[in-house]
Amino acid sequence: MKMNIHYQPRFASLATLCAVAWFGGFLGCTGSKPTASNASSSPANTSATGSPQPAQPAGSTAAAGSASKPATFTLAWSEYPSWSIFGVADEVGLINGKEGQMGSIEKKYNVDIKLILATYDSCITLYGNSQADGVCITNIDILGAAGSRNSVGILPTSTSAGADACIVAGVNSIEELAGKPTRGLEKSVSQYCFERCLEKLGKNPTDYPFAQMDPEQAALAFQGKNDGISSIMVWNPFVMQSIRSRSDAKVLFSSETIPEEIIDMVVVGKDSLSKPGGEAFAKAVVETFYAMTQRMADPKTSDETLVGIGARFAKLELEDMKTIVQQTKFFSDPSDAKRLFSDERFQKETMPLVSKFCVKYGLTSTPVDLSFGDGKGLMDFSAKYVSGYSDGQAK
Amino acid sequence: MIRRVIPTWLFFALAIAGVSVLLVSYEFLSQRQTRINPKQTTIPSFEKLGEGVKRMFAKQGTQENPKPPMFWNDMRATLWRLFIGLAIGVLASVIVGVLMGAYRWIEAPLSPIVMFLSKIPPTGMMPIYFALAGTDQRMFTSMVALGIFFSMTQSIYQAVRDNVTDEAINKAYTLGASESEVIFEVIWKQILPNVIDCIRAQIGPAMIFLIAAEMVVSDAGLGYQIRMQSRVLNMNIVFVYLLVLGIIGVVAEYSLLWVRRRLCPWFEGT
Repeated sequence: MKMNIHYQPRFASLATLCAVAWFGGFLGCTGSKPTASNASSSPANTSATGSPQPAQPAGSTAAAGSASKPATFTLAWSEYPSWSIFGVADEVGLINGKEGQMGSIEKKYNVDIKLILATYDSCITLYGNSQADGVCITNIDILGAAGSRNSVGILPTSTSAGADACIVAGVNSIEELAGKPTRGLEKSVSQYCFERCLEKLGKNPTDYPFAQMDPEQAALAFQGKNDGISSIMVWNPFVMQSIRSRSDAKVLFSSETIPEEIIDMVVVGKDSLSKPGGEAFAKAVVETFYAMTQRMADPKTSDETLVGIGARFAKLELEDMKTIVQQTKFFSDPSDAKRLFSDERFQKETMPLVSKFCVKYGLTSTPVDLSFGDGKGLMDFSAKYVSGYSDGQAK
Repeated sequence: MIRRVIPTWLFFALAIAGVSVLLVSYEFLSQRQTRINPKQTTIPSFEKLGEGVKRMFAKQGTQENPKPPMFWNDMRATLWRLFIGLAIGVLASVIVGVLMGAYRWIEAPLSPIVMFLSKIPPTGMMPIYFALAGTDQRMFTSMVALGIFFSMTQSIYQAVRDNVTDEAINKAYTLGASESEVIFEVIWKQILPNVIDCIRAQIGPAMIFLIAAEMVVSDAGLGYQIRMQSRVLNMNIVFVYLLVLGIIGVVAEYSLLWVRRRLCPWFEGT
């Protein structure tokens, strides 16, 4: 130790210098690589950076050697009933979430879907920073991301009808909760649901403090009966787990109070959609979803699919999963999705409210320009891919 | 040739060149990303970073009820947690480390435990900290303090064992020193520079534990803000916060070096 210290100052600055130079060189390299070797760089890299200038000349010559080599598109998802469906679809072989491997639906559309499983807010960051082509996200959090990336909601998967809930212990009424902090993910769907429910129940949300905590950790802490955590606002599976693990826990209010305001969906960046294979990716995602909802509806495969989803996301048993699916109303049929996106209330009431929430909490500086199917807005809710699928089925 | 001396001017010129290369490559990357997506916030331009800084220092709250700007609020929370955690951790490990180095019957029962526990990453034990210490100041403090305690105790105890010679202790005894005098006048003085170096080495890990905990549960602090702002995709604020973390590390490093020079001038160059 002593010997080190003797010449450490010089060594340290030299090492820093080397590190800085190396890092600079590294940035320089990664900066120039995709342009130089667009055709040969790995599919993930290409899909992540998503160049809009059609690099076709180079691409097509390269494609001559591998004419059928499908483009890779990434879908970031977190564990949630209507999104874990993609994880189960991977297990049953409809799609293969590994890069370069194809399931049956991927083969049909000749597109390679790469699944990225991450926590909910990491998914948002991945998507917003163009590291994922598509993301499973709610209609609230997408507005923040749409501020930095033009987006299209291609598929509503479910709506929360009790799946987001305020769970309390030792608090008997909403009045008693006033002044006590509720833990949950701040500036997100949880806080939106929390405030909207209070409003609907005739309370003033400013009397009810909301404090930031990772939902998974909040649920763990609540289940561990930690001091100071008497109220949490989380989503499933945390709702179910928290209720199960504490006899004194109860749901104070939930998203049942605000039906069809929280929409879980799959969103794809406009830049990704316009890439070669982008449309096929969107179609494949839509078909995967409906193939899975059919499996859930079919008595033969229903239980096993539910168990599959449950096993992935919370070690829940079949009975629990049946409850969870009720709290998360799936848009299992294409007609549900088409109805929602053209619904007057969704367009004229819900989304403006959400937009106001996003501005209030600084998710966006100005209200995001929304559109419903015409593709003009920065955030477009388009039933085009769903219609395409149902028309294809009808034929 | 290895370690050949280069002129001072060249050294500094190269240092400046290195940093310039970093800045230019950053600007290049940022522009490239903007060409791909004009709305990108992933790699903000310097102008956008400036806007981020402005937002960090903007006044918060209402006129009647003003709140400190976001940045100072976060800095205060993080530095306070770090300071308290480090203070307790250092104090505890110095006491235990010195006793372990001085007395065989303390060393024997503790050394296997300390050695083993110093190998477990505290970030992995986060749920245990939540369960035992709640989610407020107590949790951050115990996370940082216990996080550095085991490995620091280990190093201090080794410093006492290896750096304090038997001759020094025997001389002190011969001159009539009591046991406490040996500990305070011989052992402590001899290992003080090692203790300072230990603190220097532990600031990095302490920051890691604190930031990780803040990312999970907190409503103020650098870690909280980095997670929150990266979720709402304000990378211009995130980058500035990362820069600040770097600056905190550098400042802590040099102030401790300065303290060591002041307190133990004899140690330099040995």
